[in-house]
Amino acid sequence: MSRSTLLVFRHSPYGSSLARAGLDLALAAGAFEQPVSVLFTGAGVLQLLQEQDTGSLGDRNYGKNLSSLPLYGLESLYVDEVALSRHGLSKTALPDAYSPVDLQFMQHLLATHDHLVGF
Amino acid sequence: MVLHTVSAGPGLADCLALAAPDDALLLLGDGVYSAMSGSDTAAALEASGLPLYALGQDVLAAGVSAYLLASVTVVDFDAFVALTEAFSRQLNWP
Repeated sequence: MSRSTLLVFRHSPYGSSLARAGLDLALAAGAFEQPVSVLFTGAGVLQLLQEQDTGSLGDRNYGKNLSSLPLYGLESLYVDEVALSRHGLSKTALPDAYSPVDLQFMQHLLATHDHLVGF
Repeated sequence: MVLHTVSAGPGLADCLALAAPDDALLLLGDGVYSAMSGSDTAAALEASGLPLYALGQDVLAAGVSAYLLASVTVVDFDAFVALTEAFSRQLNWP
């Protein structure tokens, strides 16, 4: 039986290489049909902004990549609702597949996945 | 039961926001600075009520031994490994 993994994303998209590493792991896990959930908290919620335009940066666009995670078989996608409001965002800013969750639900995620990987 | 490892300053607030009462926190690398008595971060650590640990070699390298909160247990690598065995899960906050 496959063991479940929770990825915790908490860094902004372009300030470090962590967001890229996290996205790579998410896509790889999806490609190998591993049970993976993703939680965005802290500044990680900024990865989900739909207005990202990386044309002049030459980097990949996290907003677009993350919106398409369900196409790669990743459907358990959660966002810290408190972190959202701390960054002046509401759930209407989120791509369709992402669910805002509260503290109790996040602690449940940490307690029930076999592996936890922070980015 | 999660052993949270915090290896950089900014990770601490996010970690404390999610930690459950039966978790513990181990400070590594630059994370050890957050346990310096009198700092805002030390106050947050104390308020969390979590068992607190810091990796000895990083404490020594940083020169903060004399400044650490009294409630922090300084551990060596063997004790670090023992902690990872005692907790069912581990989450690093880079």
